[in-house]
Amino acid sequence: MSGRRLNLGLVTGGALVGVVVAAALVSFVWTPHDPTLVDAAGKLREPGGGYLLGADKFGRDTLSQLMVGARTTLYVGVVAVGIAAVVGTPLGVAAGMAPRSRGWLSELIMRVNDLVFAFPALLLAVMLGAVYGAGTLTAMIAIGVATVPAFARVARAATMQVMVTDYVLAARAAGRRGPAIAVRHVLPNIGSVLIVQASVSFAIAILAEAALSFLGFGTRPPTPSWGRMLQESQELLFSTPRLALWPGLAIALAVLGFNLLGDGLRDHLDPKLRSARG
Amino acid sequence: MRRIGIWIALGGLLLGTAACGGGSGGRSGGTAAKESLSVGFVAEPANLDFTSTEGAAIPQALLVNVYEGLVKLDQDGRIQPLLAEKWDVSPDRKTYTFTLRKNVTFSSGAPFTADDVVFSLGRVRTDWKLKIKSQFDVIDKVDKKDDTTAVVTLKRPSNGFLYALATRLGAMFSRTGVADLANKPVGTGPYQLGAWKRGDSIRLDANPKYWGTKPAAGTVTLKYFKDATAMNNALLTGGIDVISSVQAPESLQQFADPNRFTTVEGTTNGEVVLSLNNGRPPFDDKKARQAVRYAIDHKALLDTAWAGRGKLIGSMVPPTDPWYEDRTGDYPYDPAKAKELLGGKTYTVKMRIPNLPYAVASAQVVKSQLAQVGITADIEPLEFPARWLDVVFKQGDYDMSIINHVEPRDMGIFADKSYYFRYDNPAFGKLLASADEGSEQQQTDDLKQAAKLLSDDAAADWLFLFPNLIVAKKGVTGLPQNAIAESFDFTGLAKQ
Amino acid sequence: MIVYLLKRLAVLLASVAAAGVAVFAFMAVLPGDPAEIALGVNATPEAVAELRARFGTDRPPAAQFLDWFGGLAHGDFGTSYVTSSPIGPQIAERLGVTTVLVLGGMVVALIVAVPAGTFAAVHHRDPLGAAISAVSQVGIAIPAFLAGILLVFVFAVKAQALPSGGYVPIADDPAEWLRSLLLPWLSLGLVQGAVLTRYVRSAVLDVMREDYLRTARAKGRGRMGALWRHGLRNASIPVVTVLGLQLATLLIGAVVVERVFVIPGLGDLLLNGVAGRDLLLVQGVVMVLVAAVLLINFVVDVCYAVLDPRLRGAR
Repeated sequence: MSGRRLNLGLVTGGALVGVVVAAALVSFVWTPHDPTLVDAAGKLREPGGGYLLGADKFGRDTLSQLMVGARTTLYVGVVAVGIAAVVGTPLGVAAGMAPRSRGWLSELIMRVNDLVFAFPALLLAVMLGAVYGAGTLTAMIAIGVATVPAFARVARAATMQVMVTDYVLAARAAGRRGPAIAVRHVLPNIGSVLIVQASVSFAIAILAEAALSFLGFGTRPPTPSWGRMLQESQELLFSTPRLALWPGLAIALAVLGFNLLGDGLRDHLDPKLRSARG
Repeated sequence: MRRIGIWIALGGLLLGTAACGGGSGGRSGGTAAKESLSVGFVAEPANLDFTSTEGAAIPQALLVNVYEGLVKLDQDGRIQPLLAEKWDVSPDRKTYTFTLRKNVTFSSGAPFTADDVVFSLGRVRTDWKLKIKSQFDVIDKVDKKDDTTAVVTLKRPSNGFLYALATRLGAMFSRTGVADLANKPVGTGPYQLGAWKRGDSIRLDANPKYWGTKPAAGTVTLKYFKDATAMNNALLTGGIDVISSVQAPESLQQFADPNRFTTVEGTTNGEVVLSLNNGRPPFDDKKARQAVRYAIDHKALLDTAWAGRGKLIGSMVPPTDPWYEDRTGDYPYDPAKAKELLGGKTYTVKMRIPNLPYAVASAQVVKSQLAQVGITADIEPLEFPARWLDVVFKQGDYDMSIINHVEPRDMGIFADKSYYFRYDNPAFGKLLASADEGSEQQQTDDLKQAAKLLSDDAAADWLFLFPNLIVAKKGVTGLPQNAIAESFDFTGLAKQ
Repeated sequence: MIVYLLKRLAVLLASVAAAGVAVFAFMAVLPGDPAEIALGVNATPEAVAELRARFGTDRPPAAQFLDWFGGLAHGDFGTSYVTSSPIGPQIAERLGVTTVLVLGGMVVALIVAVPAGTFAAVHHRDPLGAAISAVSQVGIAIPAFLAGILLVFVFAVKAQALPSGGYVPIADDPAEWLRSLLLPWLSLGLVQGAVLTRYVRSAVLDVMREDYLRTARAKGRGRMGALWRHGLRNASIPVVTVLGLQLATLLIGAVVVERVFVIPGLGDLLLNGVAGRDLLLVQGVVMVLVAAVLLINFVVDVCYAVLDPRLRGAR
């Protein structure tokens, strides 16, 4: 019973993410209209005809904007989570595995980590933007760097749990070296935790990008971005609420998709859960 | 005393967050005023010193309300007496004798005399740091004849002098009141600074010692919003009484109910200029600039970017100036002609704009329309005011920008070739000089020609004239129909 | 325990100092000379030099840093180059507002998450538990500012029940203070609550599978009783960690929510500072925010140690 429900989450999440990815990929070769073409005659065009979801106050096709916006969203998410995972995971594993004799290593890594953690994405984005000018790149880097500590912490905590299990103790007693243990025992056992973290981080990255674009520190106009579409729709919230509805829905569904996907994978992959159910 | 408060509050934050304990909140100062009018604005002044800080927000709040000049501008753009009861002009038009109002005091209690006139006008040259102070270069000397008579001698006759005197340049300062202009303004006006909550609001209280008619509203609160929607919502929910300038014109229909709201729509002095850097490629080439002017469909731009509110102009003169002519026909929308002028070449240019609603909206339309003729404009929004002023206005590091030039009668900025337009045409400067010295008729004729020259040269493109869009709660009276002075005059505002 | 505390305190101070260096170095990269910017377009070189001397920006960076950082220790944040007013009092006032905003949001989040998460875990096989999980999933997916916009639309503009924005100090009018903060608290707290619900649920689930809990249940205790006696303490460890982690998100949320609701808090001050190129102000605000997170970290770690003495040895 519960197994089927969890699969449902996995399937739903996968489907939602799939739609976002597909929309982004298709947008490279085809969109119904040029998403940035201003067309005064088509101002606030109602949905219908060639404009499935209507047009905004510039006469730009909403569907085309959403599709290219999906590209922006994924781009930011992939790069940000990529930075965080590639930098954060090895740091966390190293810190978690460090033996008592090299406690300073663990200590140092985690202290630097704490220091980075103290700079939230928004602070970094605002500071980077002030120096280099705000844009998609600064937003991605800021979100990525700010997400490193979350990965490192989760990886470390999970690693520490794995390190006191009987099989790792046995492996150490048998004289296996750190890197071998890390690859053979630690990574496979913390993989599920990392996947959950990646999914949560991806979702958070989408939300952070939206917030930054909303504040004007994210993707520059006129490149479509869901956050900026929301921001631009605000003055029309009363008369044309659909302009806020679509990007809002897109953000919510994309975040929901990544969260469900992560959860589904977690339940699917976690041996502890499976045995508990079994 | 407050210093330690920071760390105490920090302690509160951390205690409250962790599961270990409970925290207490912080506090905030200030008191709410009764019987007040509250007016929403967009740009908060960085400080209150308009003698050293550029930007329209400071005179908008303080001129006429806190600071007064010898003369002021009325709703129709005519000069009216203020601290000067009257003035006589010598036949050679070079000597102005001002008779000052008696029994005027500054809010500090110091009396206002001819000494303050000498002091204030002299300070413009010695202490002011604004670009526009050059408008007073025409002053030869300022003398005190007696306590209530001041004499200004000009180097040459100038039509612009009295007008400049009505702007912030002519504001009267107390000799004992300029120590901390950034925080403590001292003027003779009907209001004085009550409190300034940075990032939130400025409260002006009626000046009990005011020499003239007391203003209807005892206190006026200028509330600053960075977000147009937040300002709209504040009016809808009663947080403010007036939106001084609507920043989201599409939202106006929210205020359509005449039983709840009053809407005023008039004109301003604000030319929304698509600035082109005349000093470097590609826009050092007149043909490229002309191509830009032909490539832009101004009507479409105004309709989409600013809900069709505002007026198409075509040169640097607002309709409220006597020498206004409709110049929108000079460069009708003609993308084919634009392409022809570009000769098949394509360009990529930097469009560095302030991150203000009208600029961000207009830039997207300009970009889309220029793309049709082969010009790629990369939009880069810069934080306004500081970063935009630094990069574009000061360093001139841009190809294209969009900014609303709100100063009254500001066509003269094109005569200064160090101004960020980098426009350099001696003929234009000559026209302006002869306009200033000549008769009234000659002034009008010369300035008409100057505006035409600017337009022909495509020194810039004029996207539209910014509308004066004010929305207020029903029952608020005294709202200005046109915003043509530098200040938002609160003295006539009243709530029924 | 005392030794651990002292050690941890030393680390905290070192981190704050390191953060200070980082913030200072970063801001030093900012283009533009504060003296030139303050004086405007056509200032004379002498005037610029004089102002530089007054600001102290003509001295070597190390001396400037020590001066600034030393001032921080006793709460002196310097005087703004742009507004020529002291920065400390501004930050103090704004920090109070943001603290109230963040704490209120956290309280709302906990009120939502702890019962909902526990319930969802205990009933994880029932449709009801699944429903709670589903609702929390949707809640997580909504950005705080979107929640804020919707709340304003419904409660302020349509129902006219609450103000759309603005902040009334508690000393002026406690009732208005509460009313002005309700919507911001909800926008922050509901979304964070949804996030937290997930963690509470999975923490409680993990604990429920532990042997000692099974044993307790085998000994005849009820499910909730066993959880109450043995589980919550253990479940609280990951939740406290997440709570600390969430704080950074909450601060981001607060900045945006401050913008939506026009609340004069630290985030608002920061954005003003950036827009106005007020270098020292930005530096000061960033430093306070960073120090706040470091302090919270410290407290989380100490809580950790108190809750689970086993971890103390591991450090």
